[in-house]
Amino acid sequence: MDGTWERLKVLFPVISSSLAESEVTKENIDSIYLELVSLGVLEEVSQLICIEIDKTLQTQVVPEFWKIFDTNLDAQSDNQARERCEFQLFRTTVLQLYKKFQIINRMLERLKYLYEKSGTKFIYNFDEIFKSVLLSQLPNNFTKLVYSFYHISFNVFINTKAEEDDDDDDMDQLRERDDCDGCEMPTARCQCQELVTAFGEINLCLTRMGLLDRISGYTLTNLIQDEIYGHIQKTCRGIFDTQHLKNLEKWLDTIVLEWLTRIFNNGSAKLDPSNLKIRESISYFQKKLKYLLYEKYAKTIIDQFFNIIIEFPDSQPAIDDLKLCMEKLDLRAHLVEVLKNSLETRLLHQGVETSDIITGYVATIKTMRHLEKSGILLQTVTEPVKEYLRKCRQDTVRCVVTSLIEETPSDLSEELARSEAIKAEENERNQDEMNNWQDWTPDPVDALDSDKNSAQNRRSDIISMIVDIYGSKELFVNEYRNLLADRLLTQLDFNPEKEIRNLELLKLRFGENLLHSCEVMLKDISDSKRINSHILECSTFTSEETPNDPAVSALIVSSQFWPMFKKESMELPEEINKLFERYKKSYEEYKGNRTLCWTPLNGKVNIEIEINDKKLDMTVNPAQATIIMHFQNQKEWQLDQLSTVINMPPSTLRRRIGFWQLQGLIREAKENTFILCDENHDQAGEIETETNVVLDEEETMVSANDQREEELQVFWSYILGMLTNLDSMSLERIHQMLKMFASQGPGFEFSQEELKSFLQRKVREHKLVYSYGVYQLNKN
Amino acid sequence: MKVTVKSWTGVALWKWIANDDNCGICRMAFEACCPDCSFAGDDCPLVWGHCSHVFHMHCICKWLNSQLNQQLCPMCRQTWRFNDR
Ligand SMILES: [Zn+2]
Ligand SMILES: [Zn+2]
Ligand SMILES: [Zn+2]
Repeated sequence: MDGTWERLKVLFPVISSSLAESEVTKENIDSIYLELVSLGVLEEVSQLICIEIDKTLQTQVVPEFWKIFDTNLDAQSDNQARERCEFQLFRTTVLQLYKKFQIINRMLERLKYLYEKSGTKFIYNFDEIFKSVLLSQLPNNFTKLVYSFYHISFNVFINTKAEEDDDDDDMDQLRERDDCDGCEMPTARCQCQELVTAFGEINLCLTRMGLLDRISGYTLTNLIQDEIYGHIQKTCRGIFDTQHLKNLEKWLDTIVLEWLTRIFNNGSAKLDPSNLKIRESISYFQKKLKYLLYEKYAKTIIDQFFNIIIEFPDSQPAIDDLKLCMEKLDLRAHLVEVLKNSLETRLLHQGVETSDIITGYVATIKTMRHLEKSGILLQTVTEPVKEYLRKCRQDTVRCVVTSLIEETPSDLSEELARSEAIKAEENERNQDEMNNWQDWTPDPVDALDSDKNSAQNRRSDIISMIVDIYGSKELFVNEYRNLLADRLLTQLDFNPEKEIRNLELLKLRFGENLLHSCEVMLKDISDSKRINSHILECSTFTSEETPNDPAVSALIVSSQFWPMFKKESMELPEEINKLFERYKKSYEEYKGNRTLCWTPLNGKVNIEIEINDKKLDMTVNPAQATIIMHFQNQKEWQLDQLSTVINMPPSTLRRRIGFWQLQGLIREAKENTFILCDENHDQAGEIETETNVVLDEEETMVSANDQREEELQVFWSYILGMLTNLDSMSLERIHQMLKMFASQGPGFEFSQEELKSFLQRKVREHKLVYSYGVYQLNKN
Repeated sequence: MKVTVKSWTGVALWKWIANDDNCGICRMAFEACCPDCSFAGDDCPLVWGHCSHVFHMHCICKWLNSQLNQQLCPMCRQTWRFNDR
């Protein structure tokens, strides 16, 4: 009996809890068979062996296998070194497991032989038992080693692939690195070949044990997902002017799928057409990965959508790609969320000028149009922008109107110029719609409920979208009318042809009715020219003419059609008054039953000033002209005194004298006393200079500062005037305007920064309010 | 200092010389036009009646045309006669 047991242990070492390999011949098996049969214990012993196999699996093989996965290598400083260790660990542990798997299998073959010899059927499904025991002890995070294993082999693989494809010499030169791109080892000790061999070996072992799917499948999916993401980031991020989708698909179909095929197909990339099972799982992977690719790529594009908007139309290819992805996946909600968010963070805050927000809004419209014809996403995405402009930016309308009619081409002015074409298109489309009403398709469900009737609206052009911010054409037209009046009354380089053209284009957009008064305004301008030349030639006017009379002309306006004129009055210089009276008389004669009411403050005056041996030729407004003319005969004025003569409130007058102070022609000698800066006359100026000379170094500095402050103070009265008239202005605009006026007089240099600190001080003094990039008067 | 005005462009509103501001028929300002016109002034002139009432010419003509028998001033009901001032 003892001898039998010993012999049995050689055949089935598992009964003594061992998995040692043993040399066994067919004779050995046959003889033990006879022994067991004669002892009548064949069945009992066979059962015992099965139980022992189970036990060994449970308590030895499987725990030992999984124990390796608990190894923590995170302390490794070098990520690549860690990955390499993990690769090797995984490899060794799988190989060991496979060895044991084979040994047990051989024992089972012997057992099966014994069974069948006795004529009993052997029913022991080891493969299933092995798998279930192994998986029942699956640790929580076993994937780390697996990930490293496949990660390293993927890198090696794509590198080999790249080298295969690489017939370009330049690229080889670029690659002259110390480390191999595949295994990251020094080139001299490149391990790629060994790694490839090990990779094939392990996959084969796993396949044979039936574990490939369970152990590697999940991790493979994750890894490939990461690789896809990494590849997209590396090749596509920030490059919007080319389409990438085709190349990405090609990369997936060739590199990634070939790699996968090798894993599942015992290391070979050539699939046997008859091997349906592998073909099936590969094509399943392919489908799944393609969706993954679309999704990752589309999300990468969406994440950068704001930049795509900024770079439009150069970024069209990126949008074309996104369009293709969106045909396959529904990413609308995601796009809306991300884009809304980035518009809010990039555009809708205090630091952004209104005109820049509008530019961004227009760019968004253009970009989204390219993505989606129906304009539904556009509506949803831009809703917050519109709301913000409506609620927080009062200068929106002005900005829009200004850029519509601006001389320098802008998106909007170009758009306006396209009006005729758009109108024609619209008519054609309406016609088409009437003819093709059967082809009508409903809007996608995410269309805003509030826009039920806006299908037309959505399709229409950018200008309509802009007007849509306010939902009122009237508001825009009103603002345009104010700007036009402003230009007609003050602008020196008024170009009637251009204004008429603008008006015609605006009429196409906003309708004749709303723009009728603007038409009258322009007609007034041309009528005035005719009336003017008639009056200047009629005898009533010419009979009283003297050689020194200035050339006079009038802009005769139809009060009912213009914006309200300011009620402000002013006493014109005597000679001008006379001239105007004569002009009026001639007009009454010419028109019969009609007369003129002059608005003394409007208009423009061309004067020549001779002072200090200099000649200044200037174009100024009537108030400025009137003031300086009064200094001709009287060099020194009290503010009150002049205020009475000119019939102008002192505060207003002081502001206007500021203009001449800016020119260096008048100065305030002492409070409320203004003196002409005439060299022959002005002794006070000399005295002032002398006092400055005696000051010591430090005080000169202060004095220089004081003077600077004084100069800026001169600006202040001017800034006040501008803000009273224009309501709100940006720093740049104020700077520009001041520079324009300053350049007419003696040079006055100041930086925008200097002006900014000055204005900010006025804000602190509560004289100005600063919000959303513009300054306004503090009206409280 | 010597200031020479080389040219002076002024701005003036034109007005009808009339003892009223609005047309009694269309209620529009005289300096506006009647509802049928686009432009005021030359294109939509005023006319005076002997009764001293003033209207847009287009308004009073339309009014007179709508009257069957008598031609009366809509304001004072006197017989309307044009006053060629
Ligand atoms: Zn009338
Ligand atoms: Zn009329
Ligand atoms: Zn009457």
